[in-house]
Amino acid sequence: MLAFLVIRICYAAVVVFGVSLAVFFLIRIGGDPTTLFLPPEASAEDIARFRHVMGFDRPLPVQYLDFLHRALQGDFGHSLRYDQPAMALVLERAPATLALSGLALAMSLVIAVPLAILAAAYRGTVVDRISLLISLIGQSFPAFWLAIMLILLFSETWGILPPSGRGGFEHLIMPSIVLATYSTAIITRLLRSSMIEALQSDYVRTARGKGVSEPRIILKHALRNAAIPTITVIGLQVGALLGGAVITEEVFAYPGVGRLAIQAIANRDFTVVQAFVLVMAVTIVSINLLVDLSYAALDPRLRGK
Amino acid sequence: MRHFLRRGALAAALATSAMTGMPVLAQQGELVVAQQIDAYSMDPAKHSAFPTANILFQIYDALLTQNENGEIVGALATSWSNPDDLTWRFKLREDVTFHNGEPFNAQAVKYTFDRALDPDFKAPYYSRISAIKGVEIVDEYTVDFKTEKPFPTMLLTLYEASFPALIVPPAYAAEEDGAKIAATPVGTGPYTFVEWLKDERVVLKANPDYWGGAPAIDTVIFRPIKETRTRIAELKSGGVSIAADIPPEDVPALESGDTKVAIVPSDFLYFFMLDTTRETPLQDKRVRQAINHAIDVDAIQEALLGGLGQRIALTLPTNAFGYDESWEPYAYDPEKAKELLTEAGYPDGFSIKMMSRKGRFLKDAEIVQAAAGFLQQVGINAEVEFLEPGVWGQVSEKKGREGIVFPGWSGRDPNLVWFPILKSGLYQSYFSNTELDALLDAGAATLDPEERLDIYGKAAAIIKEEAPHVPLIQPPLIYALDANLEWTPRGDGMIDLRHAEFAD
Repeated sequence: MLAFLVIRICYAAVVVFGVSLAVFFLIRIGGDPTTLFLPPEASAEDIARFRHVMGFDRPLPVQYLDFLHRALQGDFGHSLRYDQPAMALVLERAPATLALSGLALAMSLVIAVPLAILAAAYRGTVVDRISLLISLIGQSFPAFWLAIMLILLFSETWGILPPSGRGGFEHLIMPSIVLATYSTAIITRLLRSSMIEALQSDYVRTARGKGVSEPRIILKHALRNAAIPTITVIGLQVGALLGGAVITEEVFAYPGVGRLAIQAIANRDFTVVQAFVLVMAVTIVSINLLVDLSYAALDPRLRGK
Repeated sequence: MRHFLRRGALAAALATSAMTGMPVLAQQGELVVAQQIDAYSMDPAKHSAFPTANILFQIYDALLTQNENGEIVGALATSWSNPDDLTWRFKLREDVTFHNGEPFNAQAVKYTFDRALDPDFKAPYYSRISAIKGVEIVDEYTVDFKTEKPFPTMLLTLYEASFPALIVPPAYAAEEDGAKIAATPVGTGPYTFVEWLKDERVVLKANPDYWGGAPAIDTVIFRPIKETRTRIAELKSGGVSIAADIPPEDVPALESGDTKVAIVPSDFLYFFMLDTTRETPLQDKRVRQAINHAIDVDAIQEALLGGLGQRIALTLPTNAFGYDESWEPYAYDPEKAKELLTEAGYPDGFSIKMMSRKGRFLKDAEIVQAAAGFLQQVGINAEVEFLEPGVWGQVSEKKGREGIVFPGWSGRDPNLVWFPILKSGLYQSYFSNTELDALLDAGAATLDPEERLDIYGKAAAIIKEEAPHVPLIQPPLIYALDANLEWTPRGDGMIDLRHAEFAD
């Protein structure tokens, strides 16, 4: 078990390193931020001078080694636009995004899990049909469109929810609904089919034969087995939620890391993009690690290994 | 509902003043302004973005400002003169202090510019002030701006749209190596800083001691809302009172009920630049004139901008120095265009690149495509290519703009527009004409307005005849407002809330 954990952590470190390398070079393909940052009338000399002062004229490998050297000491560079440490800019906005994504995930689970269990238990009935309809709709609504529709209805027409910004819980309702829609659909579908499969398996038949009550069969025997593939998908959905937060934050003017990242990409604010991608990579890799560990908790057969 | 709080505040203010017998200081509640993005820094010399400048302009003042008629007038400076061709002398106001109590004087002016001109400071807008060689203190309230060459557009360099021209308090700006002023600004302006929640809001409070008179509205909040539909929804539901950057097609719907629209032609220039540096048909003057005749600019303005904005005859804003109302653009005349093309040896037209950015400026891609359609009708096959803004910058730097280009430019003086984009050999110029070069040099070398008018009149005639550009439109700046708000937008894009007030 310990060996498994150590190997996993090593993999995770390699992944994070690889991501940092990739993003460093990818974002620089489209050129540096100098011409975007200086006013249009800046002369060729002004541009060259600025580029030199900022060190953008050095060869890329040299810049990368410099970046790596500093990053290993915890210095992720200064944002060009904000003139502040890049990592601080990302981290100060992270709680807002975590709150939004966390609420959306909770919302997805609260809806998806009971719905999927009911749909599997009452397969072919109205409940099942409703679950299928919900997952179909959830998967096909573009987040952007849904967000605008919610704003039009709840803010412009009925005036019950604030269209944008951050403040109380009411500011989180529409963004988290938008963010949760897709995940709810995916999780419902997957858990439903895993449950149906589990309910048809031999051990369930045996349990039924022993006279175990139906709720106990569903919640203990079937759900536990169906949970493993579902948790994998939930783990992946966390990544999707954090990614989806970018669009949602933009539409609802919500002050999270997604908006910061979008703007930083447009501005070629390299250090901010790097810090953002690094934080995301670490988050997602950690969640995957937790998912792997949860298998062991759920499946006793993996525990001994 | 939306006006309830504001009325409450006003009533309270009236009640208080009635009780104390003090004169009524019309303290009106809260004004929320929605722009696309948040501030980058609270240090006026550390950014290059208009939304940031709009926030900072409420906190800081420059030596000069723009009045309601669009004229440059005194702000922290009261008068100015030219003791010689290389000196601009400014008399300063003597009754001004910064929000933290620091006195405003010649020392503050000198410090502000010394700081931003220091190469180590890395001011992004360095180019706008780099003609200033130094600032000399004459006495407590008099400064001399020294230049190496005569600098006729000094006044435009010293008003608020030239971002580093906002005056900072010397002692405070030096604290914590500049980090303090970048986070919690202190200026001389009508509003004082309260708080900045990143990407969420900047909150400002009226400065009752403002030298220009206390502003009517008590609290001003700037919120970044990128998505247009969300900005409009916030306005309609009463969350904001000024929503910037409204598309023309939304104007009719916002002109009734609780909202209204304020529109002004921007100082920005939409035009096509015809590259004459490469071996293409564009090197022939007749072809360039033909392109001018081929594009129906009025139709484009009507269809894509709802008729808003200002048609221009030459590449110069109509409010710029030297713009002559009698100038006429080339008339839309496709037959004439075809004749000119035939004369130039292209009876069947030709193919040419057309380069632009997309989504950078209001309706840019649509305008480029519409123009390409008009060109098609006279046989010119324009191959439209849209570049991502960062890539555009790269391409431009290598002088890689080709064919018919939609670059965008601004500037309220021929020396700020024609010089950089038409003078031979300059980095942004794709045209060369020795006669024009001589005139542009002459216009840059004298401060005398009469002489400059004469020079630029001659230059205009050459530009019209040589047709290195297709002048199009000054696009509109469109703001949607709370119907009760009295506020006038400015063509330079700066938001000035000094005289904003609610009607009731």
